[in-house]
Amino acid sequence: MEAEAAKYIGAGIACLGMGGAGIGLGSIFGNYLAGALRNPSAADGQFGRLIFGFAVTEALGIFSLLVALILLFA
Amino acid sequence: MANDPIHQFQIQKIFPIEVGGMDFSFTNSSLFMVLTVAATSAFLIFSTSGRGLVPSRVQSVSEMMYEFVASTLRSSAGTEGMRFFPLVFSLFMFVLVANLFGMFPYFFTITSHIIVTFALAMLVIMTVIIYGFMKNGMKFLKLFVPSGVPGALIPLVTLIEVISFLSRPISLSVRLFANMLAGHITLKVFSGFVVSLSAMGAVGVFGSILPLGMTVALTALEFLVAFLQAYVFTVLTCMYLNDAIHPSH
Amino acid sequence: MMSSQNGDGEDRAAGSSEAGLSERRAQLNRKLDGIRAVEEKAARKSQSSSSGYAQAMKLSSEFIAGVLVGAGIGWVTDQWFGTSPFGLIVFLLLGFVAGVLNVLRSAGVVEDQDAKIQREKDVQNDRTD
Repeated sequence: MEAEAAKYIGAGIACLGMGGAGIGLGSIFGNYLAGALRNPSAADGQFGRLIFGFAVTEALGIFSLLVALILLFA
Repeated sequence: MANDPIHQFQIQKIFPIEVGGMDFSFTNSSLFMVLTVAATSAFLIFSTSGRGLVPSRVQSVSEMMYEFVASTLRSSAGTEGMRFFPLVFSLFMFVLVANLFGMFPYFFTITSHIIVTFALAMLVIMTVIIYGFMKNGMKFLKLFVPSGVPGALIPLVTLIEVISFLSRPISLSVRLFANMLAGHITLKVFSGFVVSLSAMGAVGVFGSILPLGMTVALTALEFLVAFLQAYVFTVLTCMYLNDAIHPSH
Repeated sequence: MMSSQNGDGEDRAAGSSEAGLSERRAQLNRKLDGIRAVEEKAARKSQSSSSGYAQAMKLSSEFIAGVLVGAGIGWVTDQWFGTSPFGLIVFLLLGFVAGVLNVLRSAGVVEDQDAKIQREKDVQNDRTD
């Protein structure tokens, strides 16, 4: 196999990690919504923590995007 | 191919013009931009020509638009921001009328091309930058240094703020472009289902009622999106202009 | 519309005394302030509860724009200074942070002082209503 082809395949495989981040984000927002429906008055106060969880989870997804971009462009 | 959902976004030259090796052709995109501007100006001039103290029906429509944009601008950029009213009102009317023009069958949607929306967004951002430096001088750079940040973090935070500022024209243009493009493609795909299903005989004609209903519902949604995106574009323009007028946060 | 109403008010007030006029004007001002406050509150409320689809589009495009700009800047620095791949790494992460900041800002979590004070005032008004 040529090195160029292996690079593109590797970038594609690295992007699978984004799927994991997607599952995590779904879990975070779903649980937030479930909690918010149980106790709507407490929901606004936890919005900051929701975004914190979103940021940490998405950061891991961004790492896999980073690996893919490095494979493609660097 | 008539059923290709991308076909409607193709640019066709109407009068080929070439100046010094560069392509300045008058395309269908330019035609619809001219039509948009002409329709907007004609409507506003016609509706306000009566100047009635008690407005007629058309006059009250244009007064409502005026009031709507003016109150949006005033609430986010203050009375000082009203000097940008001509710019903001023109942008709002252009985007709104261009979006609504795209809803006519066989019409070209100019806001579904990213270069058009990016040019509009750059117009806004360049206004913010040039006016910000003209009015505040070097104090405009305070926009990138939030107050109350510990000294060691300032370079990092400033870098992040600069990237955040640079991402504004991108998000402004991509949002309008993506909404219009996706909406029109969806419409075309669903109406394509109706045609290809009804070509399949009696059962197909019966089955094509579902996508037909979907197309009608999507058309209504698209009208909402056309208005909503013009409004969002205006609100964000006002917020960015506010940064130019009051840079420190 | 507005000017005709004002004209009416002045015509009626012209007959009364100076004190009555100023009192009437103060009353009108108070009424107008009240109406304006209600309208502003309604406008803010309607802004915050605009359609969820539009808000989701807004937030996600803010986030993606941050990441894209970061990656773009990183790529350009790599091309110019030959620091490949560190420019891309650093600026992509910074772009990610900027994207989160954009999201927080447009969701109204990071707000400036005036807005916070205004909101607290609103909350108090709501309680007294």
